[in-house]
Amino acid sequence: MLTRRGFLSAAAVASLAALAGCSGRLEPIDTTAASFRDGGQEGTIEVWCRADTLEGNQAMVEAFHAAQDRIRVRLTPIPNSQYVTKLATAIRGNRPPDLVDIDDIYSALFIYRDAFADLTPLIDALPFRDTLSPGHLALAQREGRFYGVPFLADNSVMWCNLELFDRAGVDVDEATGSFEGYLDAARAVAGLGGDVRGWWYPGNSSGFLGFVVQPHMWAADADMIQGAVGSQTGNVVGNEPARKTLELLHTMWAEDLVPQRAFSDDGALGPAEFLAGTVGMASCAYGNLVHNAEPGFLDGVEARLLVGPEGGRSFFDGGDNFAIPNGASRPEAAWEYVRFCLDLPQQQALPEGGYTPIRSDALTDDFRARFPHSVAPLEQIDAGYAPLSLSYNRIYNQPDGPWLEMFRRAVFSGEIDEAMSAAQPRYDQLLRQGDA
Amino acid sequence: MSAATRRGGSLTHPARTGVALVLPAIAFVVVFVFVPLVAAVGISFTNLPLIGPWEFVGLDNYLLAFTDPVFGRSILYTLVYTLIVTFPILALGYALAVVVRSNRRGSTLLRTIFFLPYVIGLTTISFIALLEAQPDSGAINVVLAWLGITDGSTAWLVNGPLATGLTCALVIWGVSGLTMVLLMSAMQGVPREVYESAELDGASWWKTEWNVTIPMIRRAIAMSVIISVIGSFLAFTQFFILTQGGPGSETTTVVMAVFRRAFIDLQLGSATAMSLLLVLLTGLVTAVQMLMLREKD
Repeated sequence: MLTRRGFLSAAAVASLAALAGCSGRLEPIDTTAASFRDGGQEGTIEVWCRADTLEGNQAMVEAFHAAQDRIRVRLTPIPNSQYVTKLATAIRGNRPPDLVDIDDIYSALFIYRDAFADLTPLIDALPFRDTLSPGHLALAQREGRFYGVPFLADNSVMWCNLELFDRAGVDVDEATGSFEGYLDAARAVAGLGGDVRGWWYPGNSSGFLGFVVQPHMWAADADMIQGAVGSQTGNVVGNEPARKTLELLHTMWAEDLVPQRAFSDDGALGPAEFLAGTVGMASCAYGNLVHNAEPGFLDGVEARLLVGPEGGRSFFDGGDNFAIPNGASRPEAAWEYVRFCLDLPQQQALPEGGYTPIRSDALTDDFRARFPHSVAPLEQIDAGYAPLSLSYNRIYNQPDGPWLEMFRRAVFSGEIDEAMSAAQPRYDQLLRQGDA
Repeated sequence: MSAATRRGGSLTHPARTGVALVLPAIAFVVVFVFVPLVAAVGISFTNLPLIGPWEFVGLDNYLLAFTDPVFGRSILYTLVYTLIVTFPILALGYALAVVVRSNRRGSTLLRTIFFLPYVIGLTTISFIALLEAQPDSGAINVVLAWLGITDGSTAWLVNGPLATGLTCALVIWGVSGLTMVLLMSAMQGVPREVYESAELDGASWWKTEWNVTIPMIRRAIAMSVIISVIGSFLAFTQFFILTQGGPGSETTTVVMAVFRRAFIDLQLGSATAMSLLLVLLTGLVTAVQMLMLREKD
């Protein structure tokens, strides 16, 4: 007869067995195998992409299907906010896709948990290896090995409305060459009167602000996260470039150089005022403009990289990496698709969907003529950067993260030092938790 | 009394018939409640991430929960939110029940109208509120500006107190329909003779409600309050849609904190420990409520 104690013991054992089953590790993929070089793979591969880059991925898949008929790609778009969770769940359930197109900033989350295949031999064998975006690669790296390969770039740069600049008597290079230049230009443009403002930022969009504000700090070689993964801490208090950046943006707000909507702007509408022609400067991605601009609007717009408080240039090296999860059933076919996507014709067509190539050799004269607005990041591809951290999502992309809280308090209330002091322990705590 | 009866069987059926009848229910509870609960307790003593290896960490997750300022603040916020919404939901639900409890013409239509927000659901009305609370363009701001109360640019969802107020108003409107239905059913069960006696005794409407209706529907009131409090403790949808826990973590509820730990930080072990603490807290509060609201025989 089953006693109460026996029943409880059995239930506990069953539960722990279930728990142990959760730790099942996916079979590592050997990318040195000859099958990766032989080609001639057949079948259907499952590819996950993030919803934000569906258009670029869809175009690649159609081109790939047109170019050959051995491998078919089944593309599944995943909402950005659910991507990490869904992929982690699929890996935990031993049902990973064959290939993932993942936001490069999230690559490390999986790489540091041994979820992706080591692609180093395949990447090193690429004839254009040295042209690949170093910012993307840095996020796919662990202990000198690469677990992801760059696919497409989504960079933050400063866009200037030339018509407003002309009317205000502002020179683009002077305006975008220093913080003083930014401020003087914003004042001059806002001085045109009416609804016209000098600058735009979405003051209530944590992720967007991380994308467009941090490069000002990186231009001065100052990240707000310091140390190697595993022992990272916040670099907030005493971070002078960060303080000066927040000070600049606070001045923009205090002097009414930014649209009032910035206070509650969650970024959903993108740089709406800039697209309406009533804002002089807006930092955002090429994709934020190209899909929403009126015909001819972009002819009057120029882009520059983001400048730091004491000079220097940078941009957010965002976009996607390709990675092959361990346990994928058709990794060789997946790599064949990756190779196709990395070829120059496909890369040079990326701006049609609002993205930028991740190969510096894509910048040919023909490319410059076709896509002049995609040129700036490619000209200085080494200036691109994005922080390598397992806690990036928690700190920068969540509305209750310390980044947005600090930004809003500093910029809208002017309590810059207090905001930075309050953010420091939150950064430390989240980084400690993320690295645990 | 026969031996069979003493062993728990009935006079007409052997004991095994009873066991067989309740076995599916027992199996259901064991598989879907008991085993997951034991597994959750086991997981709470590990550092199980959503991906990657894990190991036992003893009480670390519980210590982390007790020292995590965001989790502590989320519990406090959830308690405050619960305190704010519980009485208005009961009061509004009671008032609506009074309006629709009779079978007068139009009662059915009114019941439907009052219950509609609950049927539509918090998810849908939260999304509607998200649009209507936008500065300058949302209906809430447009109406307030039209009435001359504000200039129409109020950013409701980026200010902690304003966002809390808006969310509370939404929830009170959205879920009081359920309380109405529960109380209305109980009110309709009160014998007509009791009201007639009260009327003969010259009791006013207020006295009748206070001395007759409320005591006689005490169980339904208790159940409504308990359902409402548990629902408030588990609040997630409305805050996730409207504020995402912000600004900062000012409107982060305890379930949202658990969700973030599990699916943003990918730390299932820690999130499970937080969940179990929430289960204990909810059970404790419910037990206290049941003690306070129990029938005095």
